[in-house]
Amino acid sequence: MKILVKLFATFRDNRFVKQEMEFPDDTTVKEVLAVLAIPDEEVAILMVNGRNEEVDHPLKDGDTLSLFPPVGGG
Amino acid sequence: MERYAKQIRFAPIGEEGQRKLQQARVLIAGMGALGTHLANSLARAGVGYLKVIDRDFVELSNLQRQVLYDEEDVEEILPKAIAAQRKLEKINSSIVVEAEVVDISWANVQQHFEGIDLVVDGSDNFELRFLINDCAVKKKIPWIYGGITGSQGMAMVIRPFEGPCLRCIMPKAPTPGSMPTCDTAGVLGPTVQMVTAFQTAEAIKVLTGQDDKVCQGLLNIDLWTSRYEVFDLSKASRPQCPACGQGEFPFLEGREEIQVTPICGSNAVQINPVGEKKLNLQDIARRLASLGEISQNPYLLKFNADGQEMVLFMDGRAMLKGTQDSVKAKSFYSRYVGF
Repeated sequence: MKILVKLFATFRDNRFVKQEMEFPDDTTVKEVLAVLAIPDEEVAILMVNGRNEEVDHPLKDGDTLSLFPPVGGG
Repeated sequence: MERYAKQIRFAPIGEEGQRKLQQARVLIAGMGALGTHLANSLARAGVGYLKVIDRDFVELSNLQRQVLYDEEDVEEILPKAIAAQRKLEKINSSIVVEAEVVDISWANVQQHFEGIDLVVDGSDNFELRFLINDCAVKKKIPWIYGGITGSQGMAMVIRPFEGPCLRCIMPKAPTPGSMPTCDTAGVLGPTVQMVTAFQTAEAIKVLTGQDDKVCQGLLNIDLWTSRYEVFDLSKASRPQCPACGQGEFPFLEGREEIQVTPICGSNAVQINPVGEKKLNLQDIARRLASLGEISQNPYLLKFNADGQEMVLFMDGRAMLKGTQDSVKAKSFYSRYVGF
């Protein structure tokens, strides 16, 4: 299945801004994070098709996964 | 009204909008880089009452981006809230500015929100933002999140029950040490201006009652790679959201607050984050490497800076030597570890 992965802020460093990626059916967000080498605890905002989900959420073909680190200084 | 002539001429504000601004009461939580820019713009725009709160005092390294302070404030070691109040009163003597030199906590936050129409976020940590979110949702007061690190910024308007709140999109506060802070990643000055320009414009829309114009997304910017975007949040409200969906406010009840306890018989305190944490000491050491002296083994990290020694353990606990002051200790932890 195809997943559109969108990365934000520091997650883009040495990765990408937006990329369509191929995964086996029922791949979870956690598995995608492992492929991207993003530790789970560094994800502050995790959205699938514009809605918050947990890391164990299984993805479906055509889903858009957006990942944000915390941006917390001020 | 002459002072506001150009703003009144801007048709969507007009004289009616200006009058609404003059009657408005805004709380600015935190008077660092974001807070000083927010206060500066809101005072000049004629918001009639500003309450500025900060726990810290002015230091030389603040002047690069904290717009209301100058070298005299550094020499006088003035609390930021007081220095800000003095400057704001010179900028606009027709408004009321109230200053409070306190650490906003679950014990006092509700009192600070009393009679307030809007809260703008000038804080530097998520513990405070989650507390603000709990209180804002409970009291149905809108607030505007803003955050920066390096050249990157994020911001979002939260109007409780009319759109997603912070916990709709971020159910859990970030793990301590999992993100860069302004002290570890630095700050490019104009990032502050861009994020606070968004926050101020949104504040003016909210205060003048122009709900249909309020931004419904999450602003994301990176000034160094020239990327500016708004992430759509129109589907982001969640019935399972602990705050606006379920009415649970653990931050407001003090159940999620970092504990700072003095260590008997020594000039030191211990900081305990809430819940089970597993820090990546390797990553944290890398971020701190250029900022002070570091030594490390697989179990802990020792860091020396600003005349203080911190020993950070993998479970998020830290011992800070050289102080008994819990506010100072929390501020050090927030600057160098981040939470």
